[in-house]
Amino acid sequence: MQYFRKIVHSRLFVIWGITLVTIIICLAVTLVLISHAKRIRIVDAPPKLPTTANPTDIVPAPQQINIFLLNPTSLEIAPVKAELSLYPEPTKRLKQIVSALIQEAPPDYRNPIPRGTLLNEVYVDSQKTAYLDFSHHLADGHIGGTTAELLTVTAILKTVFDAFPNEIKHVQILIDGREKETLAGHLNLSQPLRF
Amino acid sequence: MWLRTLDTLFFLLFIVILVFTTHGIAQAPTVRFVDGESKTLTDVESTLHQGIIYLPVETLKTVFDPEMTHPYHHPKKQLTLKTKGKELRLQMGETTVNIDSEKEPFILNSPPRVLQGQPMLPIEFFQKVLPRLDDVAVLYNRTLQRVRIMPKTVWAPETTDDTHEWVIIIDPGHGGKDDLGCKSQNGVIEKDVVLAVGKEIQRLGNQQGLSIRLTRDQDVKKSRIQRVQTTNRNQGQLFLSLHCNASFSPNHKGMRLYINNPNGQLRFKAAPIPVFGKKRLNILTQANFLKQSQDFASVLQKELNFLAEDPIVISEFPIIILADVYMPAVLLELGYLSNVDDATRLSNPNHIVQVAETIVRAIQIYSVSVNQSANPNGL
Ligand SMILES: [Zn+2]
Repeated sequence: MQYFRKIVHSRLFVIWGITLVTIIICLAVTLVLISHAKRIRIVDAPPKLPTTANPTDIVPAPQQINIFLLNPTSLEIAPVKAELSLYPEPTKRLKQIVSALIQEAPPDYRNPIPRGTLLNEVYVDSQKTAYLDFSHHLADGHIGGTTAELLTVTAILKTVFDAFPNEIKHVQILIDGREKETLAGHLNLSQPLRF
Repeated sequence: MWLRTLDTLFFLLFIVILVFTTHGIAQAPTVRFVDGESKTLTDVESTLHQGIIYLPVETLKTVFDPEMTHPYHHPKKQLTLKTKGKELRLQMGETTVNIDSEKEPFILNSPPRVLQGQPMLPIEFFQKVLPRLDDVAVLYNRTLQRVRIMPKTVWAPETTDDTHEWVIIIDPGHGGKDDLGCKSQNGVIEKDVVLAVGKEIQRLGNQQGLSIRLTRDQDVKKSRIQRVQTTNRNQGQLFLSLHCNASFSPNHKGMRLYINNPNGQLRFKAAPIPVFGKKRLNILTQANFLKQSQDFASVLQKELNFLAEDPIVISEFPIIILADVYMPAVLLELGYLSNVDDATRLSNPNHIVQVAETIVRAIQIYSVSVNQSANPNGL
């Protein structure tokens, strides 16, 4: 009897132990995945393939792109690698990439896009001008100052031109569907811009 | 236990020594002498005595007159300076300076002294006495410990009679309860700083016979169009917009100058075409003044560099405030409110006065250079 109890006890012990270890491993894996996902910044999850598959909606494997953020030490707008499952269709791809720029920056960088900014819509015209329509936060939430305005615009333009070197020649920033002459009162945004 | 106490004691001692030594270094600054072009002439180790900065007599040979002789009579503690055809006599420990070409002696606030075994002159001597010996103006920047010695021809307010007709428009940016501009963490607000600087420029400029108009002289909202109308209606000869900067990094600091150029570091899609669509026509108008705006910015840069830790950069971008102004126009960012040091400086009334003085001097220098230029039409 004693012997039997001992066996049961030790068995219970082993089972509990295994369960605990499993839980810990699961937690660790989840944490790693979450932090990894943050770093990768997958913006739009790849769409589920519809039964009548539209060939332009088929999403290839994740691709590496550059988004441009402020390095607070060098004070340069510098490229940061991000991985996105990009749509092949350029307008959708543009929207994905600019949306990736708006996300929270990695710890070593500062995002020059005001928090809360949303990308409403994008459009590229026949003259290769990209119209990026942001929510009012881009202007209303801006910290002001000529430098900060330049950093914001530079980050947007560099990110777009890096991803579309041939397809986009100019960028026009819009706020809630309209041209706005400036974000914070200094830089003139009334026309499409390039470097 | 004892060891630990001993350790702590040693650590405290180390901290005390560290504080004392760094304090000592901060107290006797190196003084930088620069010329009219803001180029460094020399860096001189000073000696501090009762809070007054003293410099070796030798310094005068490097920064003022290489031919100068300075015989010193040890027992009598008498210093004679022979320079620029004049003879000066100074007695160590006494504030009188006898200049042979002047009837009355000049009185200093602090006397020359023998320090570290050699006769030394208070920094005030360089500031006040040198302009009496030669056609030079001497400026002293206490914050950065810089002395600028420049020929009076570079800055000659008495020759600016023509500038009486000049109208200079100073545009303190932002204003009103909706548009504060940027702000520092400890509550310094752009619209207040730029208004204070603007008012000071007006006060000092008017004293110098310049006609200075402000686009706003109180904390009110003014639209861009209103500012442009005030400016163009007053038929100003110069436009200066005042702002405080901000960045997403606290490390950005210093002053910056901007000129409106739609084909600058950022370019508009189309070069502005003179169609009768209002916007495009107006952009072209400021383009007519690009060269003059660059010249004005260069003068501001040269003068303001005297107040700046790092050389000031001039950049050309499409700047909305300057776009429709029909005269040479520059935007000056006075410093970053997102930077702790800059924000502290910009909340210091002495710094505000110093900046305003420098801007007024730059306006005078620019206007003199325009009036003296061969172009008989001036602007
Ligand atoms: Zn501003």
